[in-house]
Amino acid sequence: MASETRKVVVHLRATGDAPILKQAKFKISGTDKFVKVIDFLRRQLHRETLFVYVNSAFSPNPDELVKDLYNNFGIDGKLVVNYACSMAWG
Amino acid sequence: MASININISSLDGTLSAAEFKIAACAFSELWKKFNSALPQWSWLPSSRRPGIPFNHVEGYLSMENVILPGFDQVDHHKGHQIEKDEYSCSNVDEFIDDAIVVQDYCREVNHYDFHIVYSASYRVPVLYFRAYQSDGQTLVLDEIEKDIPPNSGKMLRESKWTFITQEEHPQLNRPWYTLHPCGTSDWMKLLLTNEASVAQGEVATNKYLVSWFSVVGQVFGLKIPFEMLDNIGAS
Repeated sequence: MASETRKVVVHLRATGDAPILKQAKFKISGTDKFVKVIDFLRRQLHRETLFVYVNSAFSPNPDELVKDLYNNFGIDGKLVVNYACSMAWG
Repeated sequence: MASININISSLDGTLSAAEFKIAACAFSELWKKFNSALPQWSWLPSSRRPGIPFNHVEGYLSMENVILPGFDQVDHHKGHQIEKDEYSCSNVDEFIDDAIVVQDYCREVNHYDFHIVYSASYRVPVLYFRAYQSDGQTLVLDEIEKDIPPNSGKMLRESKWTFITQEEHPQLNRPWYTLHPCGTSDWMKLLLTNEASVAQGEVATNKYLVSWFSVVGQVFGLKIPFEMLDNIGAS
């Protein structure tokens, strides 16, 4: 049960010309999907199109669970998520 | 596994034709190892056409007859909707005569062919695809929209000319759908410039297509297994 409710620390890191957030670290339930992180960034930055990726050189599917990403790619107790304002397409 | 590394100082998100071939072979090998249940990528040599100078890339990657995972997992609301529909299907079967329209309720399974072709002008891999029903009839974009995740469908409606369009397949000379490559080198540069690659001063070409597909596959709801990503770090 403990692992069910465990929170993951997500560290949001701006790359390129993306604005830096006032609150770059936040906690999210590990059972949430990655889409929640993307939506949070969209709301904070008021942008529909963002390029979001983790440090291990890939862009996670919005459907992945945060705890799975953390368990595989977390470093120093947190999941580092990079974001840029560039669009993937178009 | 043969490997050429790209120097970090010259990293601009693009690949040479020779690097593409190395990345393609590495990608299909990893796919085979970690995605054995899915259709496989194979390297198809391009046919030499008279009058056209020999293309030194010599081929492209192909994965055919793919059934998309469906967007019901992505969208909770719709997922429930589909379950309900299926449930009522079986109820109908039990109580009323068999001639009832079960087929109409359950979604038609469509098949997708994907080709990864090197673009000499953009110097990046480009995804070409086509979709067809079980009877072989090809699907148009409006029908494809129903198979892909809601996010991709939304993008399709909003960015009509800059996301998916129909173009001539450079190797087959027939019209296929393609994902626009103009932004590819920009986001590939972002993906490949990370602490590890900066520390090492180079990026392994082997990794290129795995990173690339993590973005491209999302358009169709296709995931990259984490093991495949772990592995590129080690190789």
